Amino acid sequence: MAKSIAVLLDDKRLGEMKGSELENKVQMMFGGQLTCFILEMDDDKAKQVMDAFHTARVDSRGFITDVPIAFNRVLFEEIAKTKSLGAEPIDGVMARVSEIQEFAAKEGEYLPVPEL
Amino acid sequence: MSLVIETPPPHGGRLEERVVRDRELGRKLAKGCPVFDIKPTLDENGVPVRNVYREIMSICYGFFSPVEGSMKKAEVDRILKERRLLNDWVFPYPLVFDITEEDLKNLGVTVGDRVLLRIKGKPFAVLDIDEIWRIENTEELATKTFGTPEDNPEVVKEPFDKKMPGWVIYKSLNPVVLAGKFRIINEPTFLPPFDKYWFPPRKSREEYARREWRTVINHQTRNVPHIGHEFLMKNAAYMGDSEPCHGIQVNAIIGVKRPGDYPDEAIIEGHQAVNEGGYIKPERHLVTFTLWDMRYGNPLESMLHGIIRQNMGCTHHMFGRDHAAVGEYYDMWSTQILWGKGIPSFGFPAPITDVPYGLKIRPQNMAEFWYCPVCNEIAYSGCCGHDKEKEKFSGSFVRGMVAEGVFPPKVIFRPEVYKVIVKWWKEFDYPFCNPKYVKEKEERLEVDLPDMDI
Repeated sequence: MAKSIAVLLDDKRLGEMKGSELENKVQMMFGGQLTCFILEMDDDKAKQVMDAFHTARVDSRGFITDVPIAFNRVLFEEIAKTKSLGAEPIDGVMARVSEIQEFAAKEGEYLPVPEL
Repeated sequence: MSLVIETPPPHGGRLEERVVRDRELGRKLAKGCPVFDIKPTLDENGVPVRNVYREIMSICYGFFSPVEGSMKKAEVDRILKERRLLNDWVFPYPLVFDITEEDLKNLGVTVGDRVLLRIKGKPFAVLDIDEIWRIENTEELATKTFGTPEDNPEVVKEPFDKKMPGWVIYKSLNPVVLAGKFRIINEPTFLPPFDKYWFPPRKSREEYARREWRTVINHQTRNVPHIGHEFLMKNAAYMGDSEPCHGIQVNAIIGVKRPGDYPDEAIIEGHQAVNEGGYIKPERHLVTFTLWDMRYGNPLESMLHGIIRQNMGCTHHMFGRDHAAVGEYYDMWSTQILWGKGIPSFGFPAPITDVPYGLKIRPQNMAEFWYCPVCNEIAYSGCCGHDKEKEKFSGSFVRGMVAEGVFPPKVIFRPEVYKVIVKWWKEFDYPFCNPKYVKEKEERLEVDLPDMDI
């Protein structure tokens, strides 16, 4: 069964999508209070992600979660670069696994506190 | 027949209270005893997974009544076989005071001796040794504690392994068990923020009588509450007898948790933020906690939760999907199976409330709450027919949002609750439990002890 992954979009990320076709693919969650892209991937791609990142899991919705924060950042970068929600951004992410893992190792100790 | 529900008796018939408040008597009990400094149980990587001081506290303050101390071999064997103590009352887990062979040699104790137990270098409790026995194979003990797909096919789906924190706790035990009764001789004081929420069974029962709460429903938590949890609490509390439950008790489990869970400080203050924010008004809501290093044993953990909350004076207990679970080892509805029809392979051919020496607290088995964009509300899965459109409150999705630093919308977290997460994130440089937090916490613990010269 295909798995999904949600990429949350804040104002900055939405700004980067302005004028592109992906603007029409922004999805609303929770009554429009959250915006995101939802990527679907086949089992092979999902397995590659799960194998590369040991914290990753599939939640009760069938979404891949608990990936490193760096994974989400790189995934958005690849979406912005390829302007695609297909296989291309995931392939781009998998080509940068070692970079993500390097950042992920530091994420286990420290995550920047958000400004309130 | 009256439909009015009254406060249930403690499990086992009476509250076990094993705290010596006469300090002179405490000194006398400890005088001349060999001394043992309690150390955390470590996993294979040297990360703390449990501290037996929490079990001693929960035993001596009556949360685990009728348990009185570290268990004898026959008692552990009976629990593993039929989940009952030697006095027949149901109980899910072995509880043992375990030490190394070297510790035993250094202590030089035998049956009939008393040991003074210290934490943070100060006298804490005494243990009167009734039996010294050995765990031959800790991995076997761990597996028998939680079950196997072959022996417990009703609920166990996958063999347990080192990704299951409870299994790791039992696997990591030392081989020598000093069995016997504990007594706390130097009463600890709780550090902030825990100090405000300490309601051991005697005190919670008095508090509910004072508040005139005849019916009280418990919410088990190891989480900062998101809106799904809040709706579970509010709606489960409609159950009562002739009227909804008078009170909602939140009982947080405080102790070592798996990486990715929230810090204890954020959990307990997050629930209090629901109360102070008026989302569940203080007159109907009380935040409390129990010291326990979670085993994540789903149906077995729910049995312990039932015992704790019955002892605290609750009449009802809400149970949801994947109760106190991790991974997919157990069927996601295992807890509700135990409370709804029983699990014969664990020794319960009927619901755990319907067996001799069983529990008297009433289950409120709930499904789940989700956001439904069609209903335009937080909907109960048992009512909402928009299965395709539903949006679930996935804990891991919410954690991911928090970790990315996205301010969650009000439909996911109350802003007051999210601010509590950020408050403790600043304190620990991290929003979740990680090895650094766990190691520092095991040095700090939740308590301090007054000086006591023996």
